[in-house]
Amino acid sequence: MDGSQIDTFVFAPLAPILGLLLFWFIQLLFIESQRYMLSKIWHKHEPLCRFTNFLGILYQTICHALGYSITRSGISDFVISVDYGKVAPKKEKKGVFEWVSNAFLFIGPFFIPSLLLLIYFILLINSSAFSFPSGYYESFSIGLQNFGENLYSFSEKFFGFLFNIDFFNPLHFGFFILLIIVGLGIRPSYIGETKKEKIDMIYDLRNIKNLFFGKPLYLIFLFITGYIIFYISFFLKHGWYTALFSLLGWLSIIAIAALITTQTIILFIKNTDELSRPWSLLPYLTIPVSYVTMRTVFYLYPVTYSNNISLIVMILSTILITFLLLKYKTNKFKTKKNIKKAEEEDGEKKKRKRRGSSKE
Amino acid sequence: MAKRKKEKEEDLLKNERIERILSPHPLSFMKLQSLCLFLIIWGVVVGWLVNFSEWKNLFAGEWLPVLAWGLVLLLVGVIASLIAIRWSVFFLFLIVFVCGLGLMLWQNWLTAEIVPVFIPFYSVAVSIVGFLIVELYRRSHKYIISNLRIAFKGGIFTKEERTVRYDKITDINAKQGILGQIFGFGTIIPITQAGFGLGSDKTFAAGGIELGGKKAKLLGLAGGGKEVQTPRARSYYELHGIYPYKEIKKLIENLVQDSVITPYQQEQVEFQKQQVDIQKQMRDLLKMQTKTPREKPATALAKMHEEEEEPEGDEEPEEDDEAYQQEQVDIQKQMKNLLKKQIETKDDSSEEQDEEEEK
Repeated sequence: MDGSQIDTFVFAPLAPILGLLLFWFIQLLFIESQRYMLSKIWHKHEPLCRFTNFLGILYQTICHALGYSITRSGISDFVISVDYGKVAPKKEKKGVFEWVSNAFLFIGPFFIPSLLLLIYFILLINSSAFSFPSGYYESFSIGLQNFGENLYSFSEKFFGFLFNIDFFNPLHFGFFILLIIVGLGIRPSYIGETKKEKIDMIYDLRNIKNLFFGKPLYLIFLFITGYIIFYISFFLKHGWYTALFSLLGWLSIIAIAALITTQTIILFIKNTDELSRPWSLLPYLTIPVSYVTMRTVFYLYPVTYSNNISLIVMILSTILITFLLLKYKTNKFKTKKNIKKAEEEDGEKKKRKRRGSSKE
Repeated sequence: MAKRKKEKEEDLLKNERIERILSPHPLSFMKLQSLCLFLIIWGVVVGWLVNFSEWKNLFAGEWLPVLAWGLVLLLVGVIASLIAIRWSVFFLFLIVFVCGLGLMLWQNWLTAEIVPVFIPFYSVAVSIVGFLIVELYRRSHKYIISNLRIAFKGGIFTKEERTVRYDKITDINAKQGILGQIFGFGTIIPITQAGFGLGSDKTFAAGGIELGGKKAKLLGLAGGGKEVQTPRARSYYELHGIYPYKEIKKLIENLVQDSVITPYQQEQVEFQKQQVDIQKQMRDLLKMQTKTPREKPATALAKMHEEEEEPEGDEEPEEDDEAYQQEQVDIQKQMKNLLKKQIETKDDSSEEQDEEEEK
C-alpha cells in the first residue's frame, strides 16, 4: 500500500468531516457573540430577550421531541414556556435509542431550524439551481476542495438571493422574517436576569462532548458507518458522501447568515438605545421610508439593479442617519475637548435663559 | 393617573384605599387583533398576486380575484371558528366579504381594472377600523384594586361593572400565555363563592350529530353532551391582560389572604368568647353578692337563668359568704385554665411559624 492508497482509504473520508467541523465552530462563535450582544441589551429590551429565549427553547424542545419520535419512544409530556422546556418519553429506551434522542437534543438545534429555511429557500427559488458540482474524490485534499466547491456554489446562490431580496414580494419578505426568527432562536443559550449555569454554550459543548466520548462504542460505530458510505461512493464513483456533508455545510452557512442578520439588527437596536426620544425613532423610520421611496422611483424609472440599489440605499441611509444622530445628539463620536466645549455652550445658554427670565 | 385616581376616589367606600388602577395590556387582545392582521396580510398578498406576481395571468378577469380572496377568507374563518369554538369569527369574515362585494356591485367597481386595487385597499381599511374598535374596547376596561375589593368596569356602549370583595373570593385562577410571558402580562380570574368567574366548556364536534336532545343537529353546528367547568369570564369581569402580572397577582393574593381568618385567629376568637362568658358569670356573682347578701350563690345564679323562686328559710351570713367564695374560686380556676390553654396554643402556633420559616 503506497502513500496515495493510505490517503484514499484512511484520510480522504475525514476531509468533509473536518470541513463541516470548521463551519460548525464558526457557527458556535457567532452564537456566543449573539448571546453576549443580547445580554448587553437585556435591561432595555427584556421582551426581545424573552422572545429569543422562547425561540431557543422551542427549537430545542421540538428537536428533542423529534428524537423521541424517531426512536419510537413516544412523548408523554411536552411543555414549553419562555424559560423552560420539557419533553418526557412514554417509554424510557436505553442504549442506542437514548443516544440518538440525546444527539437530536444537543445537535438538532444547530441544524434543524436551518433545514426549515433551506426547504423554504428551495421552494422559493428554482430548485433545479441546486446541485453538487463536485462529488467523487480520491484524496484528502481533493475531498476538502470538493466540499469547499459545493459550499461555494450554494453560497453564491444563497447570498445572491439575499442581496437581491425584494421586500415588496410577500414570499421574499416571509423568507426574511423566517431568517430572523431562525437567527434569534439558533442559540441554545439562555439570556436572563440571573445567570443559569445549565443553559450556556460551555454546558452545551460539555453535553455534546459527553454524548460522543461517554459512549465511545457509538462514536466508533458512527465513524465506521461514515467510512462504509465513503467506500461505497468511492467504488461506485458517486459523490454521495461529499453531498451528505455538503448538505450539512449548507445548513451551517444558512445558520451563519441568519446569525449575522440578527446580530446586525441587535447592533442597530443597541445603538439607537443611546438616543433619546423622539430621535431614536428616526433610524427605524428611515428603513421603510428610504426603501419605499427608492422602489417607487425605480418603478417610475426602471433600471437593471433596482432591488440591489434600493437595498443598498436603505442600508446606507439608515447607517448615515444613525451615525449623524449619534454624533449630534449624544457624546458618542465626540472628543473630550468637544464634549467640554458643548457643555460650556450649554451652560452659557442656560445662563442666558436664566438672565432672560429674571429680567422678565 | 392622578386625575383618574381622583375620579375613582369619589366611588370609594368608608376606609377604602386605592392600591392600583389597571387596564389591559395593548397586546392582551391579540386574538382579536390577529383577525385584523390576517385581513391585512391576505389583502396585501392578493394585491401582489393579482398585480405583480408571476402568476398574475391566472387571476385575469374581475371575478377570479374576488372569489380567491373570499374563499380563503371564509376558509380561514371556518378553521378559526372551529379552533376557538366560536362561530362569530366566521360570520365576521363573511360580513367583511359580503360588504366588500356589495360595495363593488353598488359602485360598479367590479371591473378587471378596479378589483385588483380595491381588494388590498379595502382589506387594509377594514383592518384599520378593526384595530381601532379593538383598541377602543381595550381602553374601555378599568380595573380598580382597593384594600377592600376589586372593581371591574368595561364596555363601549353598555357599561358593565362588577365588584368582588376579597372575603368572597374562594379561588384565584391565573393564566399567562406565551405572549404574556414575553411581555409580562397575564389574566387573573377571581372566582367567588357564587361561582362567578366559572364557565363551562361543551365538547364540540363539527360535522357530528348531537343525539339525545329534542332535535338531532347536523353539519357543523352539532355538539357533544359533556360539560366541563372551567375558569372563564368576560374581559370586563376578570383582570384581563394586566401588567405587571406577577406583581398584581402577588398583591391580590396578599389582599385575599389578609381577609381570611386563619385557624389560630379562629381559636383566639373562641377563647375570647369563653372569657366573656366567664366574666359575665363573675359579674353576675358579684351583683348577687352585693345586692342580696342572704341569697345563696348557686340558687342565685340558677334564679338568674332559670327564674326559679327564692328558697325559704334563714341561714347564717357566714355560710353564704363561704358559698360565694367557693363559686368565685371555681370561676377563677376556669379563667386560669382558659388562659393556660390560650398560651399553649399561642406557643404551638409560633413554633409552627418558626418551622415554616426555617423550611
